Amino acid sequence: MSLTKVLVTGGTGFLGSEIVKALLEEKTFEVTVVDINPPSLGTGSFSTVRYVRANIMSPSDLHEVFQEAKPAFVIHTVGVYPLGPKRYKREGSDPVFAINVEGTRNIVEASKECGARGLVFTSSVTVLFDEMGMDFRNADETWPTGRLQTAYGESKAEAEKLVLSANTSDFKTCALRAAPILGPNDVATTAALYRCINRGETPFIIGDGTNLFDFVYVSNVADAHVLAVQNLFMSGAAAGEAFFITNGEPVVFRDFCLAVWKEFDHYPPFQITIPTRLGWWLGWGVEWASWLTGREGTFCRGAILDATDTRYVSISKARRILRYEPKVKLSEAVRISCQHFKEQLKAQAKR
Amino acid sequence: MVSASSVGYYLFHPQELRSIIQWKVWHNPVHERDETKESETLQRCFHFLDLTSRSFSAVIKELHPDLLVPVALFYLVLRGLDTIEDDMTIPLEKKEPILRNFQDLLEKDGWTFTENGPNEKDRQLLVEFNVVIEEFKKIKPEYKVIIKDITKRMGNGMADYANNAEHNINGVNTIKDYELYCHYVAGLVGEGCTRLFVEAGLANPVLLKRPELMESMGQFLQQVNIIRDIKEDIDDKRRFWPKEIWSKHVAKFEDLFEPENKEKALACSSEMILTCLNRADDCLYYLAGLKEQSVFNFCAIPQSMAIATLDVCFQNHDIFKKNVKITKGQACQLMLESSQNLKLVCDVFQRFTRSIHKKNNPHDPNFLKISIACGKIEQFIESIFPSQKKPEGAAGVPVMTAEEAAKKKAEEQEAKWDMIYMIMAVVITLVVITSSMLFVAWLAGARFDLAFGQAKQQLGELFGSGSDAKNTIAPSSDHSEL
Repeated sequence: MSLTKVLVTGGTGFLGSEIVKALLEEKTFEVTVVDINPPSLGTGSFSTVRYVRANIMSPSDLHEVFQEAKPAFVIHTVGVYPLGPKRYKREGSDPVFAINVEGTRNIVEASKECGARGLVFTSSVTVLFDEMGMDFRNADETWPTGRLQTAYGESKAEAEKLVLSANTSDFKTCALRAAPILGPNDVATTAALYRCINRGETPFIIGDGTNLFDFVYVSNVADAHVLAVQNLFMSGAAAGEAFFITNGEPVVFRDFCLAVWKEFDHYPPFQITIPTRLGWWLGWGVEWASWLTGREGTFCRGAILDATDTRYVSISKARRILRYEPKVKLSEAVRISCQHFKEQLKAQAKR
Repeated sequence: MVSASSVGYYLFHPQELRSIIQWKVWHNPVHERDETKESETLQRCFHFLDLTSRSFSAVIKELHPDLLVPVALFYLVLRGLDTIEDDMTIPLEKKEPILRNFQDLLEKDGWTFTENGPNEKDRQLLVEFNVVIEEFKKIKPEYKVIIKDITKRMGNGMADYANNAEHNINGVNTIKDYELYCHYVAGLVGEGCTRLFVEAGLANPVLLKRPELMESMGQFLQQVNIIRDIKEDIDDKRRFWPKEIWSKHVAKFEDLFEPENKEKALACSSEMILTCLNRADDCLYYLAGLKEQSVFNFCAIPQSMAIATLDVCFQNHDIFKKNVKITKGQACQLMLESSQNLKLVCDVFQRFTRSIHKKNNPHDPNFLKISIACGKIEQFIESIFPSQKKPEGAAGVPVMTAEEAAKKKAEEQEAKWDMIYMIMAVVITLVVITSSMLFVAWLAGARFDLAFGQAKQQLGELFGSGSDAKNTIAPSSDHSEL
């Protein structure tokens, strides 16, 4: 039996490399990776995978690569996620839109041109959630998007729309809206929470500390991508659809933080509850202070709202149609991710 | 009858006292049994039901007439079986065949059992077991099949455990063994009851296709009992907490009771509670499949009591020292809330889940898992009773890109300046006209100093104090009317 050709964009990244690994484990795929970076140390590369360096902002580069690889399916993971307070701003969001939206448009075009049969797009729960100050309880895919307030959320929503509207019977597309991902080498979750320890930010509870939140482990997201490719290949029930992909274990945000800090043997020495409104003003003050001093903190209004709003979804659609089941449980995911981070810290300390 | 301490307690918890009064005075049973139509043997059966079960007899006696007798007999049969299993004075050779063949004894006219030890509290039931057999004959054959099947499987399960020397010495070993034990003594009861409900047409037949739900109903109750009764059981030399769990925290089971191991004992109890809590959403799911009010009450009341008990046991070191219970007032309140509808039962579950969550301790090895278990219950309740409406209308609103946003911002900016220019133009025009008029008047010889003085005086008269001003104004107004 001949192998199905799959092309993964951003295949050397945090999620991309995990997807490549999951594809190879199926033993039915031949994988080409397109990335602007070569495989970096730590993410690991695979000898059976062909790595091609290309910039998704260049249609001509892509045309060449895609014509050569002739993939049957494309998994598009490339996206930029502004970190820290930048995430909640609109200023300086042009590169975000360029890469997330124009880049996606280029990939869709190149895929269609080379005769690919389908495309799986890595979207994000932020297409729904980045409506700041709003609660989302057990939301599903029928909830309307497009009420967004961040550049990231907007750009992802636009890209998702672009991908899903390109769906035809010859070129099937679907979007996977992943929750905040944790795993070895994640930058937005484990590392960000770790930094709170040294900054002395751990004792402060903003809001009532009972808001539920969704997370997902990186290999579970990777599994979902493989399942999506297989679905588009076989039944195609997922074509034109978006799916929430989380660990299906909503947890109180504060508890998740405490669990991460606990892995680093840190327990907040005391606890202070700050009402949400006050927190918002504090965030506002800190934003000004960091503007004046030129230093950046974890604290800002967006982060405050991100930490106090209830945001969790139902993954029953992914379970039903993709047969998705999160294999690595959240408690295990926290342990693995923090353990890895700790080892990295140790290695850094030695150097 | 009423102790001084309970008078003191209810003095400070009037809400609970109110619940007791409400339940005792206002609760109307959904169905009431009609004692006049009952045979003597059936009345005797109900007498035993009152004697042997404290919590269940009340809810059983309110059951739908079709189910009343079958469920009562089902309970008595299992109680009889349990009385034989429990009695350590009966030698194994004698015990085993009775346990394994109990389902056949149910059809043996006049069978009784008198060899229980004198301390066995329910021995009288077996001494007069012929009344149960007499009534068992009269029920619908479909019910008989179900009761006999469950009795057979439970009896065999109990016999296996009685035979298992290791179990008798060391107690339960793995979590799997623990759940299997709970399956025999409680999960099977869940199955039996469900089959009886469906047979009577009072529950959704789909419940039989989801066996894990009825299993969880039994498991949840049984596991809560095992957690709560830890002290009582160890005093009776019984151990149901599985070694797989307690050995993670202490070296010897008895160490759990040492005061210096308080933290470890609490961590161990948390893990037991976590195992149990993971079943709570199944129980709510099951309750959603019940159609008839009396059946719903019969199932929901014990479940509500169980989650409340779980809450009092959580992070409570007293369970290792004494029997921890919910108060009578709380129990009555729970009965009130659990005999109405699923929404109220979900509220009860949510309330106690949040209370458990609040007490969750970051130092506990299962801190995150307990938090996740609580989240799971919250999500399940949200899925059947959404607290939030899906926002509407925005789906059609196109998403804005950066350029569009920038364009929109520029437009807004432009509009703002347009507005400013307009206001400035109006103000300037007015100033120019006014000043040119004043200039013309001045050229014509207007005395602005006099005009100003007069204006000041008139204003003073208008707003000035005293009645003089009023009087001067009044005639002038009269005058103007002329």
